[in-house]
Amino acid sequence: MIIKGGVVYDPANGVLGEEMDICIDGGVVAEAGGGPTIDARGMLVLPGGVDAHSHIAGPKLNAGRIMRPDDGRIGTEPLRGLCRPCTGYTVPNSPAIGYRYARMGYTTVFEAATPIIESRHTHEELEAIPILDKGALTLFGSNWTVMECVGEKDLPKLSAYVAWGLRASRGYGVKIVNPGGGEAWGFGSNVKGLHDPVPEFNVTPAEIIHELARANERLCLPHSIHLHFNNLGKPGNYTTAIETLDLLKDIVPSRDRQAVHVTHMQFSAYGGTGWRDFESKAPEIADYYNKNDHATMDMGQIIFGSATTMTADGPLEYANARLLHQKWSNHDIELEESSGVVPLVYIRGSPVNAVQWAIGLELALLTEDPWKVLLTTDNPNGGPFVKYPGVIALLMSHKRREEEMAKLPEMLSKRSVIGSIDRELGWAEIAVMTRAAPARVLGLKEKGHLGVGADGDVSIYEIDPREVDPGSDPALVERAFTQAKYTIKAGEVVSRDGEIVGIPQGRTFWTDASVPEEDMARLMTSLKEKFEKYYSIQMSNYMVQEAYLSRPVAVRAGVEVAQ
Amino acid sequence: MRTITLRPLASHLVPIEAEALTADGLAKLSVEEMETLDLWLGNRRTKLCDLFAIETDGGPAPIEETTIILDGDFSRVKRIGERMSAGEIHALGDLGMHAGAGMSGGNILVKGSASDWLGREMRGGSIEVKGDAGNYVGSGYRGERCGMRGGSILVRGSAGVFLGEHMCGGSIHVLGNAGDYPGAANGGGTISIGGDTHLPGAEMTKGSISVGGRTTVLPGFQFQDEVEVEGLTYRRYVGDLVENGKGELLLALAQQSA
Repeated sequence: MIIKGGVVYDPANGVLGEEMDICIDGGVVAEAGGGPTIDARGMLVLPGGVDAHSHIAGPKLNAGRIMRPDDGRIGTEPLRGLCRPCTGYTVPNSPAIGYRYARMGYTTVFEAATPIIESRHTHEELEAIPILDKGALTLFGSNWTVMECVGEKDLPKLSAYVAWGLRASRGYGVKIVNPGGGEAWGFGSNVKGLHDPVPEFNVTPAEIIHELARANERLCLPHSIHLHFNNLGKPGNYTTAIETLDLLKDIVPSRDRQAVHVTHMQFSAYGGTGWRDFESKAPEIADYYNKNDHATMDMGQIIFGSATTMTADGPLEYANARLLHQKWSNHDIELEESSGVVPLVYIRGSPVNAVQWAIGLELALLTEDPWKVLLTTDNPNGGPFVKYPGVIALLMSHKRREEEMAKLPEMLSKRSVIGSIDRELGWAEIAVMTRAAPARVLGLKEKGHLGVGADGDVSIYEIDPREVDPGSDPALVERAFTQAKYTIKAGEVVSRDGEIVGIPQGRTFWTDASVPEEDMARLMTSLKEKFEKYYSIQMSNYMVQEAYLSRPVAVRAGVEVAQ
Repeated sequence: MRTITLRPLASHLVPIEAEALTADGLAKLSVEEMETLDLWLGNRRTKLCDLFAIETDGGPAPIEETTIILDGDFSRVKRIGERMSAGEIHALGDLGMHAGAGMSGGNILVKGSASDWLGREMRGGSIEVKGDAGNYVGSGYRGERCGMRGGSILVRGSAGVFLGEHMCGGSIHVLGNAGDYPGAANGGGTISIGGDTHLPGAEMTKGSISVGGRTTVLPGFQFQDEVEVEGLTYRRYVGDLVENGKGELLLALAQQSA
């Protein structure tokens, strides 16, 4: 395939708006190619979109679907062409997730959190999402074995468990959610801060985070630890954020990437002592990022309207349900986690929601380096991913932000600095935040760029970046990004003008990390005991078999790779 | 004025989905255009003329001046008058489920009885049923937190369970009895029940429910005082305190029993 004459933005390779041809051969970008030609003259050509943090599969999605028959009524699309029927807005059915991402030009999406014991279900749902390449991040933050290893200060054994857990769940990376809090929630409480010991385990969140980061680098995993902070969603929590980031300054990344990725930073950049004096501390967080290079983040932008929050942060969801008087699903996940699901609505008239809206944008606009900030809504916690184009328009246009601010409470100007920010992101910066940076953050070398050898994932938008001024015409930008002219996945056109024309089965990335045999043997002794005494299932039934991944891609890592 | 009369050509066991049957949908169409409108018979797409005979006086007219007369048994026909904004629907017999769902204006008059979900999530207009109505009259649909928001429903017979569940506005009058849990999670509407009912106002936070016949008061309601409304004395309760509610429950004194 040859994509002719498009205006290409490929920031990972230093291509910034050059008119050039892209050739795809055998599913990857090549020097030359034959076959069909796509005329992309006057159009924006980008690498396929990469979303590094989105809740798209697993039991919590189903809990959301079951709790929200009202959500299922929105976004129904009948059986048409290649597409199966679709339902849902914040919690769509699995095929709809694939079609909707593909229509926007996204080709790779990573599920943000799966407990090991529930990973089989997660993979079954990932398999039901067509088109996209996928992966899942595995939860380790409140896991008994992890906390035991941390308590024993046994890094080799902890590394062995992480490697084993990734294999057991066919997971891609280490996700940590409110470390220790999931276990404390089993006793009806939470960990209050970084140095508040977890009940019965005598380890602190700080120790869990730090040791998991060390294990992550010892194993040379493609992705860094992927961290959801303690105290998330609470006023005044920005101090926890900065304290946690400081804690990780001594971690030396084993690969060319960050030492820690902080997810949905918006929910952790809160000032104030309560909801009444709630304010944005995004400038402080952005300032920290401007002065330090060991961390990346994603926005977690909120979208006004309906959302379904779902997280392994069980106590947070209890607080949400109480505060908002909403439906609540609560779940205890054996020796591994807790979790919760709460639907909610972000309202323009609410001062708190308005400040949250401002914080997400401030983080992206005040952090100078776009490689440090990924564009996400923490789908569907901040709002559904189909609203990304609206977020892009807000980031690219000061005018659009002012129009939106006019609809929000006046106090916003006192509680945030959004009104004073003139910065408008350019095409290259958006290409970084939605393509190049997520791929680099995840450690996916063949994604997020269009160099020779990269995956043949390309999105083509019907907008000429040489002619359109996004600052004054945000509506054109939003429209173009909402519906790609062409989305190409591994050299095959999958979406054209919003119509799905190809439904290839995507691949699933997982990390196959090796550890020394003696470490694994020591781990097995204590694991066997746990399965005999505490788990509801046998170890032999616990592992996700290879058969659950129809197109697995095992990324090699491990202690040997590190050496 | 334009009158459009529809008569079923046959009776069906499989339900018909007919959201096209509103004054909004038909007023501006010629008979030929109406005949080709899509309806669903079960999971089969079909045309209006395959199921109903159409008779009309005159050509296209404004929506407000259009009356649709449903002559025959429409008890298996769902979603009649869904989202209508004006005009009239007169059903000479029974109506199927979801009649007048989400309507914002106009009138529906049912000479027979209506089925479940009558006027669910309606926002305006009025519905009158001479016979009985089914369950979930004027309620929210599954999972929704706000049902009927405006307009009025009058049921001269009796209504089923969960009358006005999750309603946020508007009024419902039932002259006969109502089933269990009328006004459950009521967030602002007015419900009056002439006859008996059971456990009214569970989880209500706002709005008002009055019961003329016998009923059982939930323990989440607190007695306030006796009030007189239109010549009748009522015992007034506030609740549901389980939800810290400020709803009002009025029980007619004469007929009340525990």
